[in-house]
Amino acid sequence: MKKLSVSLVAMLVLLSLFGSLVMADNHGEMAKVRVLHASPDAPAVDVYVNGDLTLEEVPFKTDSGYLEVPAGTHDVEVFAAGTEYAAGEGVLQADLEVEAGKAYTVAAANLLESIEFVVAEDSMEVTEGQAKIRVGHLSPDAPAVDVGIIGGDALFSGAEFPGITDYAEVAPDTYDLEIRLPDGTQVLPLEGTELAADTVYSVFAVNTVDSLEVIALVDYEAAASPDEMPTTGLGTPQQPQSMWLLIGGALVLIAASGFVWRKRFQ
Amino acid sequence: MSLRSEEVGFAVKAEPAWTEQPEPAEKVKEIKPTETPAKQAPNPINELNQPGIAPEALAIPSIGLEADITHLGVTDTGEMAVPDNGDELSWFSPGYRPGQRGRAVIAGHVDDLDGPAVFWDLTELEPGDEILVSGEDRELRFKVHKMESVPLDLADVDSVFGYHSSPELVLITCSGTYDYDRGTREERLIVYASLSEE
Repeated sequence: MKKLSVSLVAMLVLLSLFGSLVMADNHGEMAKVRVLHASPDAPAVDVYVNGDLTLEEVPFKTDSGYLEVPAGTHDVEVFAAGTEYAAGEGVLQADLEVEAGKAYTVAAANLLESIEFVVAEDSMEVTEGQAKIRVGHLSPDAPAVDVGIIGGDALFSGAEFPGITDYAEVAPDTYDLEIRLPDGTQVLPLEGTELAADTVYSVFAVNTVDSLEVIALVDYEAAASPDEMPTTGLGTPQQPQSMWLLIGGALVLIAASGFVWRKRFQ
Repeated sequence: MSLRSEEVGFAVKAEPAWTEQPEPAEKVKEIKPTETPAKQAPNPINELNQPGIAPEALAIPSIGLEADITHLGVTDTGEMAVPDNGDELSWFSPGYRPGQRGRAVIAGHVDDLDGPAVFWDLTELEPGDEILVSGEDRELRFKVHKMESVPLDLADVDSVFGYHSSPELVLITCSGTYDYDRGTREERLIVYASLSEE
């Protein structure tokens, strides 16, 4: 807990530095990126973006939430937590290209000896009143699976490691879902899954096949926004009429003196 | 895990204390006795449920502010609507709810015909100050993490009212000098706060 508060302070310091930069950019040029640790035997990791320590001690099965990053290409490098940074020495490195206004999941997947990035673009929209869901197969030794209604149709078929499916849009409701082998053998039940309206979900199957489990994340929830900011002042300051009188008076004086001058030089 | 970035609110990922309790109990009932106990682990998708509250009142102890909140949408001209008095606050109810993932926006006047109004002292907030929002018999605690005063034309409305992967509260009032042509002040003071982990 102590560690957390220390890093919170660090965050606030960074935040104040960041804040002005981000603001100067006017958020239009920003992209969203979240990092997910999905490598079952890898230790907690530190993530460096362009050489800066950006995420600290991310344990397995944890995600960072979306971070705002400028659009463009970023050097993302992963180190075992606490390792001193040296460019190119990380367990995993990628030049990640992100576009303005888009969102991405960057998962560190597979076993440590062959750890790899799995990158997917995340949806930031959903048809009004509908729910959206996709699945990611990030269990390195698990076979291809289907995800579907128990005793019913598959929503996703043949998801293979290391892949993230497209989204499927469904009516908001409670579903008895399961992860199963294509022959119908259940791998993991997900009964009573409540999918809410206006919400986009990603469900990742992680860990090794003998201890397969699921990480669920919300990618997006839709809500309305106005076109314009509010007008939050009821008062109308007094028109500074005295100011105008002064300026007017000054003008009259200048005009008058000009008149005098001209008169003198005629 | 800790995080060094703007997204201080990330820590909220841990289940907040106020998450509705009755639901898991109902679910336990639904599970048939024939099923193996190992499968009673909570459904991780349902753990994401974080509906937030419809806010009724707001308090900021550090500046001695307490005010009621009305629920409003947009004006005829597409602006976020605001109360017709200087005492109340308005929550943009078509947007995100306080405590839901995303930015819930509450606005208040800086002044009214008699002088200073409910958000007159908002500029005095400091990072870390607490904002308490109550409604539906719950109280949510937010901590200020960023403040900016933005010229009206540069305000990024989609971002201010936009999605965020953790719950945030945004307070807005007017700032800057009065623009007689537009009939409003030139800037908007925007305060960003993140839901505290309790």
